[in-house]
Amino acid sequence: MYKLHLILKYLLKRRIAWVSLIAVILCTTMVLVVISVMGGWLNMFKSSFHGLSGDIVIESNGLAGFSHYEEIIDRLKQNKDIAAAVPTIETYGLLRFGQQTTLPVKVMGIPIDTIGTVNNFPQSLFRQHVLPQELLQQNDLSPEMRKSLENELHEPPSFDLLDEVATPLDKPPGDVRLYEQTDNDAIEVGTVILPTSFPRDLLKEVRSRLRYDAVRHRLVFRGVMQPQWKAPLEAVSSDSAFKQAIAALYDLSQKANLITYDHEGNPTGRYYGMITGAGVIGIHRNREGEWEGRDPYKFETPVTLTVLGIQAGAAIDVGNKAQRDYYIVDDSRTQVWQYDNNYVYVPLDRLQKDLGMEKQEGPEMIRLENGQFKPTGRTLSSPARVTEIHIKVRKGIDPNDEAKLHEIGKQVEATVLSVLNGNSGLITAFPPQVKTWQDQQRLWINAVENEKLLTVMLFGIISVVAIFLIFCIFYMIVVEKTRDIGIIKSVGATSTGVASIFLGYGLVIGVLGAGLGWLLSYGIVHNINFLHTQLGKYLGVQIWNPEVYLFDKIPNTMSPRDVAIIVPIAVIASVLGALVPAIRAARMNPVEALRWE
Amino acid sequence: MPQTAAQSETASRTTPSVILRARGLKKTYKMGDETLTVLKDIDLTIQAGEFVAIEGRSGSGKSTLLHILGALDASDEGSIEYQGQDIAAMSGGDRSRLRNTQFGFVFQFYHLLPELNVVENVLLGPMIENSWLGFASKKNDLHSRARDLLEQLGMGHRLRHKPSQLSGGERQRVAIARALMNEPRILFADEPTGNLDFETGRQIMGVLEKLHREKGQTIVMVTHDRSLARQADRVLVLVKGRVERADATASNDQ
Repeated sequence: MYKLHLILKYLLKRRIAWVSLIAVILCTTMVLVVISVMGGWLNMFKSSFHGLSGDIVIESNGLAGFSHYEEIIDRLKQNKDIAAAVPTIETYGLLRFGQQTTLPVKVMGIPIDTIGTVNNFPQSLFRQHVLPQELLQQNDLSPEMRKSLENELHEPPSFDLLDEVATPLDKPPGDVRLYEQTDNDAIEVGTVILPTSFPRDLLKEVRSRLRYDAVRHRLVFRGVMQPQWKAPLEAVSSDSAFKQAIAALYDLSQKANLITYDHEGNPTGRYYGMITGAGVIGIHRNREGEWEGRDPYKFETPVTLTVLGIQAGAAIDVGNKAQRDYYIVDDSRTQVWQYDNNYVYVPLDRLQKDLGMEKQEGPEMIRLENGQFKPTGRTLSSPARVTEIHIKVRKGIDPNDEAKLHEIGKQVEATVLSVLNGNSGLITAFPPQVKTWQDQQRLWINAVENEKLLTVMLFGIISVVAIFLIFCIFYMIVVEKTRDIGIIKSVGATSTGVASIFLGYGLVIGVLGAGLGWLLSYGIVHNINFLHTQLGKYLGVQIWNPEVYLFDKIPNTMSPRDVAIIVPIAVIASVLGALVPAIRAARMNPVEALRWE
Repeated sequence: MPQTAAQSETASRTTPSVILRARGLKKTYKMGDETLTVLKDIDLTIQAGEFVAIEGRSGSGKSTLLHILGALDASDEGSIEYQGQDIAAMSGGDRSRLRNTQFGFVFQFYHLLPELNVVENVLLGPMIENSWLGFASKKNDLHSRARDLLEQLGMGHRLRHKPSQLSGGERQRVAIARALMNEPRILFADEPTGNLDFETGRQIMGVLEKLHREKGQTIVMVTHDRSLARQADRVLVLVKGRVERADATASNDQ
């Protein structure tokens, strides 16, 4: 009874005890905040990594890809643990953007209508998902607006061209500028203000097909310039230089090598839609969290993607270089740096054809001595290929359960081998590899996990200081209270009783400190983004740089598991800090203690 | 049982019952390389209901003897029996219980807990004795007993004061009340007036004497003051760690 009484009296009367209480509060808060933010970051990291990859991925050994993927997918779908499987192609390409920039990019061919069954790619699209969702958060929306936004969200993602690009005629006709590229500069050869009466369909053609090839220093007209367009174009301006340019253009366009053809051998008349990683075209969030770089011209100007085909035998097919024009229709923000700054996404079938990975059939030829080829009469065929198959496991299987994924991975591997070996009749020398999404991102996930561990350890070590602080303060209290200890011993308190006063004191401080620390850290973590904004506003401090940490928002959730670990540790640490002073107090000889001055 | 009660009464009348018996007590302190012998072979007995004074100069070992008798300290050699039980053979817990329920201490420097008020200081013994629940169930009784004791000692008006707000004499009265709270068989007083002026000291001695006279309280008091010692039934004079002279009772002396 006296213990509790004395603990409370001491706690209330000795201000120094409050210092140890505050130390425990601060340390608990610090560790909980750090562990929550780092843990939240890790989880965001994991989930976004997972976001662009299936739970299990069949990955080809190199860019040539593997064949019979459709059969593999059909067989996989019979596995009850597998919900969906979607083929993709990954390759490297060069993206020409505007007139000045050519970027190396990773190109992913995706079947946009089904990719959402294996990953969260559709949710990463700004125009088709993020923006409508952000708009829906606004309160002052008209019901019609709300309805149309909801419809937009429910529509499957697509590569369809934007309305602005697809129908530029809704815009008022503007001027057409023609340039001639010289060695150093682009010289304007004519500016034409088009009359409003200029045929709109013609304007569309002219705008979309005139381009300057900086490499060849030439005016380039995409596709075939139809003879019937020449006269109206020339008639637009009386400027002789312009007339000359149009005439030259017409002549050039008649020469086949300057006309681009699509893979089927038809002149390109059609543009395809491309989705780029936001960072590829310079879209990012600034310090205030606002979007920057999402400029309309980026979506109104076609870009050129060059890819290089690789034959089934993994030989580089230099002749099979495909240049294709795309309009960027959307940007994707998976929040993973390596995807958002390197990847462009194009329709799977388009990329497959451009790379020569589609099913090919042709007459077998033999080369004669005179260098001529002669058909043998047999037909050669090469099956279609892809480089990856993304697999989604069925609902009810936790994708974080690595062991289970590996188990399914083994079955997938068996299926792949049986299909490939069965078709070729041979044992495939370098079969595609089957990886779980964790395997794929092991390096990154490990790095972040290590960083989390390191940070928590560092702060944990700092918190050990709190134990010493409690130790010192309690030691002080014990020394200061030596005579009191003598008194209560002389009145009959046992050594255990005396020890338990100080241990109980430590326990009360630990429980109070950890509890209050928990509350405080909960408040901080849940308002961390607000606090961070205020910090930036008043002190100009920005700790969380979205560019470095990849995510715009600081994670603001607290895991009950972390709390369940940290809070008891804080309590134990407080009791531990009080342990040595308590033992000292217990061992005290009452007579000596009474003599203490 | 009436029979047993009668027997024990007869026993106490014929031979006054010995409550505390010390045999061959020895105590040394190590001071660096030298060993300082404080108590040399002390034998003494305390009868129930006796008021014994241990007189001696400072440094004679009288306080050490009192601490050993009161189970606060242990002797190097010799034994102490409390009602026939060897204190040295008891466990630490039993000794603590002995101090809590059988002995009461009054010190020269009062030794009150500064954080507790007067009543709480007095209730310290029962607080230690009882569990939280046990104390709560007896709370009212204990409080009224503490108040009665303080009332008797003239401290009824100071119940909620802190020790720092009291004078020396008042503090000593509180200390006596604390010592009496658990109705001890023996009250040990270590220079109870040593820190008080003459008049206050006289009053405190009056309190002890009255306790002895009216309630038959066994008191063992240590003092350097011969005139105070003479107020006891019996005086033991301690010189250089030995009992030099066990005086006859004060009444015989007079």
